[in-house]
Parts: sequence; structure tokens; C-alpha cells
Amino acid sequence: MNRNPPNRVRPHASRRGRGGWQKQRREGERNRSERGSDSGSGTAPDSVPRGTCTTMCPARELKEREAQNRLHCFEMLAGTERDRLPKADVSRTVKEYSRPAAGKDSTRPSDLRPPAVLLKTVNFLIDDIAASPSLQQWTEVYGFVFDRLRSVRQDMIIQRVSGPDCVAVLERTVRFHVYASYRLCGAPLRHYDPHINDTHLQESLSWLLECYSHGQHPNQEEFYALNLLYNLGSSFAMQHVLELPERVRSSPSVRLALAISRAYLERNPVRVLRLARQLTFLQGCALHRHLLACRTELLLLYSHGHSSRNCRFPLDRLSLVLSLDEPLTTQLCQAHGVQVNGDWVAFSKTGFAETPSGDFQCRQTHKLLDSKQKDLSVSSIIHGCV
Amino acid sequence: MAHISINQYLQQVLEAIDSRDGSFCAELLSFKHPHVANPRLQLPSPEEKCQQVLEPPYDEMVAAHLRCTYAVSNHDFVEAYKCQTVVVQSFLRAFQAHKEENWALPMMFAVTLDLRIFANNAEQQLQKKGKGKVGDMLEKAAEQLMSCFRVCASDNRAGIDDSKKWGMLFLINQLFKIYFKINKLHLCKPLIRAIDSSNLKDEYSMAQRVTYKYYVGRKAMFDSDFKPAEEYLSFSFQHCHRSCQRNKRLILIYLLPVKMLLGHMPTHQLLRKYDLMQFADVTKAVSEGNLLLLNEALAKHETFFIRCGIFLILEKLKIITYRNLFKKVYLLLKTHQLPLDAFLVALKMMQVEEVDTDEVQCILANLIYMGHIKGYISHQHQKLVVSKQNPFPPLSSVS
Repeated sequence: MNRNPPNRVRPHASRRGRGGWQKQRREGERNRSERGSDSGSGTAPDSVPRGTCTTMCPARELKEREAQNRLHCFEMLAGTERDRLPKADVSRTVKEYSRPAAGKDSTRPSDLRPPAVLLKTVNFLIDDIAASPSLQQWTEVYGFVFDRLRSVRQDMIIQRVSGPDCVAVLERTVRFHVYASYRLCGAPLRHYDPHINDTHLQESLSWLLECYSHGQHPNQEEFYALNLLYNLGSSFAMQHVLELPERVRSSPSVRLALAISRAYLERNPVRVLRLARQLTFLQGCALHRHLLACRTELLLLYSHGHSSRNCRFPLDRLSLVLSLDEPLTTQLCQAHGVQVNGDWVAFSKTGFAETPSGDFQCRQTHKLLDSKQKDLSVSSIIHGCV
Repeated sequence: MAHISINQYLQQVLEAIDSRDGSFCAELLSFKHPHVANPRLQLPSPEEKCQQVLEPPYDEMVAAHLRCTYAVSNHDFVEAYKCQTVVVQSFLRAFQAHKEENWALPMMFAVTLDLRIFANNAEQQLQKKGKGKVGDMLEKAAEQLMSCFRVCASDNRAGIDDSKKWGMLFLINQLFKIYFKINKLHLCKPLIRAIDSSNLKDEYSMAQRVTYKYYVGRKAMFDSDFKPAEEYLSFSFQHCHRSCQRNKRLILIYLLPVKMLLGHMPTHQLLRKYDLMQFADVTKAVSEGNLLLLNEALAKHETFFIRCGIFLILEKLKIITYRNLFKKVYLLLKTHQLPLDAFLVALKMMQVEEVDTDEVQCILANLIYMGHIKGYISHQHQKLVVSKQNPFPPLSSVS
């Protein structure tokens, strides 16, 4: 009967998302200690491997993948793509992520890139891949950049990189995942899995926030705000920000993000949606995954609050508070069983359906935010020079 | 006792182990006992002496304990912590060999308690020197406590009287203290499950149960499960020993906000008795529907509330404050059809930032949805129409 005998309890197993990177870190440490014990070549038990690889991809891996025909199409030397075995373009080939496994030594210095090379790699991934106008299939771009950023983090973990380079890498990683969560919202699951994107975003973000706790960094306010918006309503995120010094808390971006969080906690979707209009594009991307739920909640509250036999609520007013155009407002109402007759909405507490019928896609509501992106290039968004 | 020689001390330990006198053994290993201040016992390398008198692994355990007293006398808590981990490790080896007996439980309580305390002190000492990561030491201590916990929890063979399972709740409480300190509340969940499914859960000592319920109540509160939180914390408060005023105060810091959210306001007298006047203005503001005062009171004692981790919970009192403010509007206007403008004026009077009728409607809709107001909003007439009977049901009857 007792399916969870107490002796099986393992509270130290890491939780999804937060703390996951610590697990990876431990993997790195384990690799290190294995190496320390077998090589014994002057490696003190506390020494950390230092990378010596000066290219984005270690020579060994490059040859191996070339011979095994495992190059990504972005990495092939122009003109050889159609060959039986395409050649690698050294200036475009990037070390891929490979899962730590028993018996595999991932601490060879020649396979590890030092911090400066890692940052260069990230910049390449942003400027030449993510922001490239010639690479049109962004799901393909995402898959490639996602994997290569993951291998950058793995190299940092194994070498226990910290300091400004680490912060710069993580900041760009977080921005990339936040941007992707918006741009690929609604894409087919085989190309983009929001859950996996979320896991990696949370891991990088919590690692970044930990870096921030060791000193002052110029972009920290931006990321405290992103954390609040992306994890809207999380008391963990809010408590974290409340414990920061007043100077940080009162910066405009953090203040706005806190105001939105408070409105959300008070269950005031009207205020959340109104304040959301003041956000920058990237902040909007971070918040966007909560907005459909927020709009649904507004319809729920109004369905209870305005429920009467001859309720007539003007559609244009509702579309204003929802920050949606009128056709979309109508569509959203109908999906939730709220009646729309011409220019009037009739709320009724019994008619409201929590789970929407038909398929109302979050993508359809992107118009507002898309207009904010207008002049921003992908590279300036991810580099943070806005 | 205070100034016995090392040989006398070791003899006492030997006798206590041979006679399986757990409590006396515990005293001889505890930093609550005066022997730790005895300079004749504070030895940097007592290994040989211990080996002459005691069997392994007890010799190692006692030697580590004496080294620990030496480290503490030198105020070196990092070293003390290291010694104490050896104490716990060697204790655990002995403990595991005790088949179907649990006389050593008091010893486990003593050595694990000291382990947590030294981890804490060591961390503070490292922080002062700007070394070490926050929570590292405590996390390592928690891992050790977990290995003790596993031994206790998996003792399925012994009869109930000899079971090591009697040690579970003490360890869980120690682990809770660490997890709350390093902000890893999610790690509490499996421990709570272990106690929930245990048939001993109501049989542990009252002191342990009070501590347990205090932490479980706080956890429930952070998960926004206010009803269970009130139950746990009330149990803890009512059964906490009357001489432990400090603990009762700690419990109240969390019980008060939960009670308030459920509509029960504390008396002035209670707040004064437990030196919790920080809550006085908050209470007053909520009862009066005075949002302005509420914001002021929260701002004034912000540091205290944030440090206790209750700031966000107290902010949730805003919803009740809206309800009380709007009830006043209703009482003043003495009608069942209330213009929305009246509420807008009330909110502006309370200096709520950038508020308009859309927001008024949203706040009202929320209160109606939650059951705090019986009625509906008529947008055409810009009015709130409230029920003729009991339009503002008592708070305790809602939620």
C-alpha cells in the first residue's frame, strides 16, 4: 500500500529547472576527480582543467565529424555540400554538445575552449547564425544554436569558469532563449519544444543570478527584471528581488517588473496588460507566455463580475483592456463560451468555459509585440545593445 | 566532572557504551555539556589514548570529538566542523551495526545537532573572510543528516520499541532548519511525505512535533495553502511550551498573516505581549480598509517583513483591504446601486496609482468572483448592484 517507503526518499535529487545546472557542474567535478586520480601528473586534487583549444571546434572533433559525415549544413565548406563527404569550414564549425558518459574523458585540455574563445564562439553563433539574413529556416537555426550554446556551457562547467566572460556568455544565452520562446511560439513540437527551451533558460538564468550575487554587474537590473517577468508570480523570484539592495530594486526596469508581478498577485489582469505595454521588446518576449492566461483570467473575472440577465459590455472597450483587436477579442470570447452579439459582449457566469474550445493560438496575439520589434535586429536583441 | 582527566573521561565513555546508556553517552559527546570546556580534554591529537580504551569505531568518534573541543577552544569553527563530520560518520558506522536496538538515538541527536550548529558557525566564519559559497557548508551538513535519516527510515526489521525510526522526526527538523536557511524548500517535500506515511507521526515527543508543524506550516504558507498552514501553525502555537516565549513569537510571525488572510485580526494585547507591534498598523489598516495606511505600514517595516519572508503574503491582504474599503462606500451611500465613480474616488483618496474605471471594474469583479461581494456590475449604468441580503459576507465565511 505504501508506495513511497521512506527509505527510498531522495530529497537531494535536483529539481527540474533550478539547480539543474548544479547537477551538470557536479558531473564536471566528477570528471575532474576521475582525471585527477588516474593521470596523477601533478594534478592536485583541487585542480581544474584549463582549455587550450583556440578554435570554436577542437581539431579532433572536426576530423571525426567530417569523416563520419556528421557536419551540420551550417558548418560545411561552401561548394562541398553535395559531395559524398562534405568538408568542414573551420571558421564555421562549432563543438557540439555531447552527453557525459562513463569512461568518456571530457576534460582533455585540447578539447576545451578557454573563456575568451567561448565568448567568441557565442558571438559567432549570434552574429553569423542567429541573425543571419541568409539562413531563413529559423527552427533550423534554433536547433543549431541551442545545441552549440549548450556545449559552451558544458565547457564552462568543466573548467569552472566564472567572472565577466561567464556572465557575458550567460546573458546572451538567456536573451537567446527568451527571444526564441517568443519567435518560435506555436512552432511544431518536432522543431521547438517550449518545455526544453524553458529548462535551459531557467538553468542559465539561475546560474547567471548566482554570478550576480558575487559582485556588481552592469546588466544585472535587466536580468532581475527578465526573471520576474519570465517567472511571473513566482514567489521565489519575487522574494529574491525583494532581498536586493534598494538601489537595484528602484531601477526603472525592476520597478516596472515588480509592479506587474504585484498586479498579477492581486489578480488584476487589467493592470498587468496595461503595464505590459510599457515593456521593451525583449521584456515583452519574457512576459508573453503568461499573457494568454492573463487574458483568459480577465474573461473569467468579468464573466462573474458582470453576470446579469441583460449584460451588455461594449466590445471595443473589452478589446482595449485585453490589448487585442476586435476580431481577436471576439474569437477569444467565443473560444471561452462568452457570447458576442455585434458590438456587445454578454458575460455570464454559467456560460464561461475555462478550457477554450477550438484552437486559439497564442501566436495570433503576437501582433502588438511584433510592432515593437520593428527596427530591432536579432543580433542587437541578443547582444542587448538596445 | 568539570576537570576530570582524559583517562577518567574515556572510562566514563566506555562504561556508558557498555551499559548502553544512550543519554549519558549523548552528554559525553554534546557541546551542551560542561566537559567541553575542560582544558584537560581539549587535545589536538588524542587518537592514541582513545584507541587504548575504546573499540573502533568509538575510538575514532571520541578522538574526533576531543579534537573538536580543541578547535572550538581556538575559535576555529571550520576545523570544528570538519571534526564533527568525523564524529557523525564514525557514529553512523557504530549505529548501523546496532541491529534491532535503538539505545544510541540520544547520541545521534547530540552529534547531529552540533554538526548543524558548527556548519552554521563555520559558514559565518568563512563569510567574514570573504571565502566559500553561501550555503555550501550547510548543504554538506544536510547530506550527512540525510545519511543518518536513511539509516533510521530504513530500519524496518526491529520491533516498534527498538526501532530507529524514532529518530526520524528529530533529523527532519534539523534538515528543515537547514533547507529554510538556504532557501531550498522544495527539498522538504519528500521528508514531509515520509512523516505523513509513518504510523509514528502522532507518537513523537511534543517538542519535536511542535517544531515539525512550525516548519510544515511555513512551507504550506509559501505554497499559498493557507487553510492547512493555519492548522499546522495553530497546533504549533497552542502546544508550544509556555516557557518558550521566543519560539511562540516566531510561530506568531507566520500565524498572524495567515489568520489575517482568513479574516481573523489579532488583538493589540497579543501583539504587545509578543513584541510584534510591527503588525499593529497592518492590522488597523486592513480592518479599516485603509490602503494608504497599509502601504505605509508595509513600507515602514519592510526590512523586518522581507527578512521573515512574509512581505508578499502581507501584500495579499490588499484584496481584503479593498473589500473593507468598498464596504465602507456601501455603508456611506446606503443604497444597493452604487456608482462605480464612488469606488474610483475612494481608491484615488487612498492614492492608488493611475487607477481608472476599468481597474475598478476588475477589482470589483475579482471580489465578486472570490465571494467577498454578492452582486454584479452593470457596465451600461456604470453601477455595482449589490444583493439586498448580506452583500458583504463575513470574511471568515468566505475563502
